[in-house]
Amino acid sequence: MKDIYILGIESSCDETSCSIVKNGREELSTSTSSQIDIHENFGGVVPEIASREHVKNITLVIEDCLKKANMKIDDVTAISITYGPGLIGSLLVGMQAAKTLSYIYNKPLVPVHHIAGHIYANSLVEELKFPLIALVVSGGHTELIKMKDHFNFEKLGGTLDDAIGECYDKVARVMGLPYPGGPKLDKLSKEGKPTYKLPIPLNDDSYNFSFSGLKSAVINLNHNEEQKGKEINKADLAASFQKVAVTSIVSKTKKALKDYNINNLIVAGGVAANSGLREALIDMCKENNIHLSIPPLKYCTDNAAMIAAAGYYAYKLGRRADYHLNSLSTTSLQ
Amino acid sequence: MKTLYIDTSSDYLYSGIVINDKLVSSIKKKYEKDLSKEALPQVIELFNKANIIPKDLDKIIVVNGPGSFTGIRIGITIAKTIAWALNINITPISGLTAMAISCNTNTYKMPLIDARRGYVYGAIYDKDNNEVIEDSHINLQNLLNKSKDLDNVTVITNNDIDINLKKENYNPDILKIVNYFEKSDGVNPHLVNPIYLKKTEAEEKAGL
Ligand SMILES: Nc1ncnc2c1ncn2[C@@H]1O[C@H](COP(=O)(O)OP(=O)(O)OP(=O)(O)O)[C@@H](O)[C@H]1O
Ligand SMILES: [Mg+2]
Repeated sequence: MKDIYILGIESSCDETSCSIVKNGREELSTSTSSQIDIHENFGGVVPEIASREHVKNITLVIEDCLKKANMKIDDVTAISITYGPGLIGSLLVGMQAAKTLSYIYNKPLVPVHHIAGHIYANSLVEELKFPLIALVVSGGHTELIKMKDHFNFEKLGGTLDDAIGECYDKVARVMGLPYPGGPKLDKLSKEGKPTYKLPIPLNDDSYNFSFSGLKSAVINLNHNEEQKGKEINKADLAASFQKVAVTSIVSKTKKALKDYNINNLIVAGGVAANSGLREALIDMCKENNIHLSIPPLKYCTDNAAMIAAAGYYAYKLGRRADYHLNSLSTTSLQ
Repeated sequence: MKTLYIDTSSDYLYSGIVINDKLVSSIKKKYEKDLSKEALPQVIELFNKANIIPKDLDKIIVVNGPGSFTGIRIGITIAKTIAWALNINITPISGLTAMAISCNTNTYKMPLIDARRGYVYGAIYDKDNNEVIEDSHINLQNLLNKSKDLDNVTVITNNDIDINLKKENYNPDILKIVNYFEKSDGVNPHLVNPIYLKKTEAEEKAGL
């Protein structure tokens, strides 16, 4: 069978990224320009600045990616592009570049949903085995998705308010940790003990999540102790928050696996980097004989390798777009 | 000599292909929100009408500002990607200069783009299109004050700007613009970026 090479482009938030992936499984090269240092000055991603950076970097990352793989665009089979969801001004820079390359080199254009990308980051680690449950935990999403086959997504539940990554970042901010706070809060939690009592979020029969109550509880606790002039033990507070958040995610995930009698779990999105979540999922899966896949850290946050990997399976399914393809800030997974 | 011209700095897509001193295909069309969807298909249409392929191009001229940030990024990204793929240079130009060049008058020229809240993107050029006041993001009244010693100024704009001077609508003369920049060698596409003339709100607040 002829090898298929997909060049993927991702620009939905604050990373401009280009990758080439062979047969949906093997990353040949990735070039990413991250803007973390820039947005750090503002305590979060500033959309207009993100868009400005994407334009500066887009052709540079494409060139660098090809150089690393020692390939020309003529050698690739198709071009896959994140069409949404994300920041619209950011998305459309990658989109114009991808459409233009597709036209000039006469390569098929394959549209990829950003969350499909996060999910298919797993196929860079091992072949997806169906049926599976995908736990998506990122800056903008917290979802449980059932997949019977490639690109067959059935959403079982999701967050009713804040996404888990967003919640981590907001709590971290209140605790005075620099942006992006999620990873720093995670690190701090390892130095503390879960001594603070926090409410268990949405402990019901659904597959939904809710984190805004937990977030408010931490913020209020932090505030009240400060008002009383009491020194808050930040490490303990971080550990307490992490324990409750992780417990909620793991218990809903376990329920979904059980109810649907599925024994493959894949994890996707930036919060899959969370040490507490990883440990708890490993334990839960061991206990319940579930096969677990969590991508390495570099595939958890935004990157184009995952878009190229997803692009391969979408390409095989015949998914194509024409040059009228547009970016969408919100769009449901398909 | 085959040149592609792209200007997406306003609500309009102005684009054309000039081959040996002749405008062989062009488009002037208003896009309120579908520019990101339509820009590339329209440029492809120009290639088809001109009966050439991108690889035949020698040169790309693109408007790098001022105007709609999103619009400019769309045009520039298309231009950068084509130029990079073809290994040719880009000549980035000011949209205000393009407006001045297109206007045949023997007076001073004041191209204006509405930037809201009393502000405009504007400049003043003499009749030979030399800059008298450089491209600025400026309070309209300030710009008018600066120009008050100049007699005979023609305002060029497509916006509804209340002003007591002779006014002309902007209708780009793509052939004239392309010829005006005939001698420009342009720059490497990696280096072409929008000129915003305006910091982001976040940068202003942070004092950066
Ligand atoms: N170790 C960690 N612990 C907790 N959160 C983390 C960790 N590492 C990263 N995060 C969080 O992951 C999020 C970034 O993940 P990702 O890049 O997948 O999100 P996004 O692309 O912004 O959102 P989406 O993919 O939903 O559009 C941030 O909120 C960040 O704080
Ligand atoms: Mg993401």
